[in-house]
Amino acid sequence: MRLLFTLGLALLLLAVQSVALQALGISALRVDVTVILVAFLALRANRLEGAAGAFALGYLLDLVSGRPTGLFTFLAVGCFLLGQFASTLLDVRTPMSFVLFAAATDATHGLLAAFFTWLTSRNPAATSALPLLPWQVLLTALAAFALYPVLRRIDPGNDRREVGALR
Amino acid sequence: MLSLLKRYRELLVVSTLLIYPFGAFLTQGGRGREPNVLDRALLALMAPVQRGLTAMVDGAVGALDAYVALRGVREENQALRQETTLLKAQLVESAELRSENERLRRALAYSERQQETEVLARVVGFNPVAGPHSVRIDRGESEGIREGMAVVTPDGVVGQVIRTTGGTADVALLTDPQTRAGVRVQRSRARATVAGAGASRPLRLDNALRTDDIVENDLLVTSGADGVFPAGLLVGKVTNLSRTEHGVFQVADILPVVDMTKLEEVMVITSMIIPEREPVPEPPPPPTVPVPTAVAPGAH
Repeated sequence: MRLLFTLGLALLLLAVQSVALQALGISALRVDVTVILVAFLALRANRLEGAAGAFALGYLLDLVSGRPTGLFTFLAVGCFLLGQFASTLLDVRTPMSFVLFAAATDATHGLLAAFFTWLTSRNPAATSALPLLPWQVLLTALAAFALYPVLRRIDPGNDRREVGALR
Repeated sequence: MLSLLKRYRELLVVSTLLIYPFGAFLTQGGRGREPNVLDRALLALMAPVQRGLTAMVDGAVGALDAYVALRGVREENQALRQETTLLKAQLVESAELRSENERLRRALAYSERQQETEVLARVVGFNPVAGPHSVRIDRGESEGIREGMAVVTPDGVVGQVIRTTGGTADVALLTDPQTRAGVRVQRSRARATVAGAGASRPLRLDNALRTDDIVENDLLVTSGADGVFPAGLLVGKVTNLSRTEHGVFQVADILPVVDMTKLEEVMVITSMIIPEREPVPEPPPPPTVPVPTAVAPGAH
């Protein structure tokens, strides 16, 4: 049920984003809403459920890209596993730490996407999205901040108010 | 065996979820797969949301415009804008026709003018993924739109259809790194290829021979040689032309004439009908001018 809700939310956010960015006149920039959800899964879900959820989120992202190659599905599962490993070292239980965690996941996702696209196409234009990556990470961080209260409703976890850093 | 599977179930499932899409990515390259039943269902689920949101945004923008601007001024502005677009299209067309006319006059041949049938579509969303540049339109298979069809506006070329489902289609923009179009320089008729170079970057001029007559600010039109875009559509303007002393090709940036960030309505060319060549009339026999018979010297 929780997984279905996450997927429904992702589908809705992707549809909203595809229209909103154009309306706001910033269609060159993207907000990685699915990466925020993958980051959330990395923190709250167990490995099996989280990997399945990340796979489904990546599948959605691949689907809306217009050319579903499987890259975003692979990256979503990969980022989930990396995120879960990172969460064993970090204490991410406040809204701010979640925003930073989502931003780091998005930066990793963006870099890996550019690398693998370049690796398979050898086309220098494959890395054309990299100069916009910092803006994309910033927008994703803002979206993570806005989405955190909604996500906490899905899974409250063990949130605390104090700022945390290393475990 | 079963206990082993049970023991490593999590590892096996997670590995499969990771390796399967990676394998698909490596084998498919950048092409992408055909939409399956699940893809179509999810896209169909998403389409009404996108349409509704687009209508909402349009409504809100329209209401705001009407509130801010005087109604008469707004209408006049709209009419003038339409007229400008029309005149711009006519200007490009007439320049193209003039150039074509000159060539044809030189070649003494008949023109093979292409006629197209088009479907008007509304852009309902931009691809929300960084990297590929595509938009979704609200017309699909049910309106006869198929993969590979050209998408244009009155200003010029927009891109090519890369995927269709029942009521929607995805269009790869000219700025997408995987898009190519065969072009000609409108002035000199030199041939080349234009390729997308990614987000917020101008297009790239490819395969333009160093010896070809290309100068800054030259306009490029489609050549029709790629079999996708009909000939004579405006693509962009040449800038940053650089011709090295050695090498086969010259390179340049191309500023697309269509602003891809502000697309609203586009036309999908569903068929390009090339009318049958009219039979070339037999050239009239040369006038029979009485040839004076050679008179042998001293015949008088």
